[in-house]
Amino acid sequence: MAILEVRDLRARYSAGGPEILKGISFRVEADDFFAVIGPSGAGKSTLIRCINRLVEPSGGEILFYDREVTTLPGRQLRLLRRDIGMIFQEFNLIDRMSVMDNVLSGRLGYTGNLRSLFRAFPRDDIQRALDLLDRVGLMDHVDKRADELSGGQRQRVGIARALMQNPKLLLVDEPTSALDPKISREVMALIKQMATEFKVPCLCNIHDVQLAMEFCNKIIGLQDGNKMFDGPTGKMDQAMLDEIYAMEVL
Amino acid sequence: MSDTLASPVKKPTVDDIINSRRQNRAAKGAFYTLLLIMVVWSIKVTIIEDTDWERIGSLGKVIAAANRFIGIDFSLFPSLIGPTLETLMIACLGTLVGVILCIPAAWFGAHNITPYKPITYPLARLMMTLSRSIHEIVWALFFVAAVGLGALAGVMALAVRSIGFIAKMSAEAIEDIDPGPVDAIRAAGGNDFQVMIYAILPQVLPQVLSVIIFEWDINIRRSAILGMVGAGGLGLVFFRQMNTFNYHGVTSVIIAILLLILLGEVLSYFARKAVI
Repeated sequence: MAILEVRDLRARYSAGGPEILKGISFRVEADDFFAVIGPSGAGKSTLIRCINRLVEPSGGEILFYDREVTTLPGRQLRLLRRDIGMIFQEFNLIDRMSVMDNVLSGRLGYTGNLRSLFRAFPRDDIQRALDLLDRVGLMDHVDKRADELSGGQRQRVGIARALMQNPKLLLVDEPTSALDPKISREVMALIKQMATEFKVPCLCNIHDVQLAMEFCNKIIGLQDGNKMFDGPTGKMDQAMLDEIYAMEVL
Repeated sequence: MSDTLASPVKKPTVDDIINSRRQNRAAKGAFYTLLLIMVVWSIKVTIIEDTDWERIGSLGKVIAAANRFIGIDFSLFPSLIGPTLETLMIACLGTLVGVILCIPAAWFGAHNITPYKPITYPLARLMMTLSRSIHEIVWALFFVAAVGLGALAGVMALAVRSIGFIAKMSAEAIEDIDPGPVDAIRAAGGNDFQVMIYAILPQVLPQVLSVIIFEWDINIRRSAILGMVGAGGLGLVFFRQMNTFNYHGVTSVIIAILLLILLGEVLSYFARKAVI
């Protein structure tokens, strides 16, 4: 069964503006680790952000567990977002809060207003946050402020926060482009390992083709809002890559 | 890219440069002449024509009049303690109530989070402008008329007068936040309230607190004079001394105001240090 099915997805940022996504369709199955590759400006981030509607699609369908996402009203949308974890390029942590509070903020979708105001998260959530911080190797930094950590450590907090939601799908938006090559590889390996362990399918934007080929089992190639390639990593070859990246000016 | 660099630019000649400087000088000369005329005109209207020169009298009389203020009425000091404390309390309460009023004003007035832009945004901006463009004495007169003489009118005047600055600076801080954490809380299924307290508030809190401390500092000065129109505090005593021609008493009140403001200066210095 497809976890996520996207049909003819279209997006533009303003009514008369250029179309960023020009009819994208694909399916994500239960054990997929999808890479979305393509030159900058191809629409990778827009595609990922349409799935949980941080960007509103202008057309097409998104089916998540056979449920139409694009028409969900406010409260329903928030309930749906609880099932979709997201990891960001710039980590998007709350700098002035502790690592613990940052990880716990992944549970806000399950937490009432009063509890969230006083940061009174239930015992189970705190236990789960501790377990996850242990898994991502940040047990020594639980009480530190998020802005005291290095880039790699901050992304680990981001990973723990996303897993805190107990997600059924992980959206990963350029997780490594703010990191150096060695840390990038470690972070990708960690995401892959966690995704396998928690049995969460992933949809991962990544501009580094090497990392995509190494860690992902399927690849979507985007170019200027069009899907150029969609298939198992094994079928991607140099000729196809050259075509996808043909428009990139370097 | 290189095409635009190669576009033909007319080379300036020596005459061009001299001409443009001549024009520059002419413009500057005209501007300063106009400025001078305005200053002279202002002096003529406000000082020369508007002053009662007969009443001022000789230089000796002016000095004698000013001299009346030299000297301190020490007997007044015990009765100044109450009004001084009242002034401080008016400033504190006024700032606190002002901060509460600022919450909706800053929320509505930040264009990235305002609930319904066509209505709430202009409403908040109107609140801010109104608050700032009316002097605290005028606000105090208004509230004295509304709730009667006393400290309550002073508190309300300061509260309303504080909205302008605190809400404007807070709204601008909110407009400048990094939207990343907002996305993160939204993506986790957080609602607007949770976005506000997890993604927005932590980012703007240091700036907002420092603005509040600054406004409190100013409010101490303001509350010291509000009594002149009957809104409580030291100003009332000041006014009474003036009316009874007790000029040494006036000096005593001025000294009390000075000490209070110095105290506020010191306290706000440490408060600001604690925040940053």
